[in-house]
Amino acid sequence: MISNPIVFYIASFIIISFAFIAVFLKNIIYSLLSAIMVFFAASIFFYVLGSEYNAIIQAAIYGLAVPVIIGISIMFTTGNEKQKQGFTLPYVTILSGAIFILAFVYIIMISLVMIPNSFHFMNLQQFNSYDVISEFARGIFIDYVWAFELLSLLLTIIIAGFTVFRRRGG
Amino acid sequence: MEITIYHYLSIGLILFIIGLVGSIISKNVIKVLISIEFMLTGVNINFVTFAAYCGNDKFDGFIMALFYVGIGAVELAVALYIFYLMFQKKETDCIEKYSEL
Repeated sequence: MISNPIVFYIASFIIISFAFIAVFLKNIIYSLLSAIMVFFAASIFFYVLGSEYNAIIQAAIYGLAVPVIIGISIMFTTGNEKQKQGFTLPYVTILSGAIFILAFVYIIMISLVMIPNSFHFMNLQQFNSYDVISEFARGIFIDYVWAFELLSLLLTIIIAGFTVFRRRGG
Repeated sequence: MEITIYHYLSIGLILFIIGLVGSIISKNVIKVLISIEFMLTGVNINFVTFAAYCGNDKFDGFIMALFYVGIGAVELAVALYIFYLMFQKKETDCIEKYSEL
């Protein structure tokens, strides 16, 4: 765990300010971009708290995958035809640029996980990265294997449900 | 000044409250979904904080947070699909028009 007040206060400021912006801004694309910042700041919190694996998952799913899905939904649904012609391209450009920048951050974080002993940041880390990954693997595949299988089953049911609904023309 | 567990818990609480307020006052369906994700993230911060500060030899809290991220992504996918189906019928993203499913 890294108990550095500067990191904590910067991440807190980013989380609170961008969460306010995301909620109260009228433009939905800017709101989405602010939400991405909130999710990445949350991953900084996880990293600071000593959970690098959670930080990576948070950055990958909430920082990259979820905004892409929401952005595609916005592009499909926002505005009438005149607005779509004028605004879709800038929206796509802004969203793609932001996603690419965040993808670079994600790659850097992944490389930090993969390099041995890279998490001995200022000698304040509790665990070696190999220990962290092996402990996570033991927890997911041995201790909480039923929860893991239930989540997998849930995902499979959802994918099958989407396919069935689409074939029925829903 | 030392950072304690209460600092992290208060940030999680603030994020949860912002998400709750946003999900109540927002008119746009997608903004409501984003606010709900804020609430999930706030809860997740609490999970990881308790795991980090309250004895975490087996990473139990971290693994629970991992499952929570997965469930949150599933919930978002289902909600967006329902929104897509509703948008085809109502042709608007204003949540007030979605009072009847």
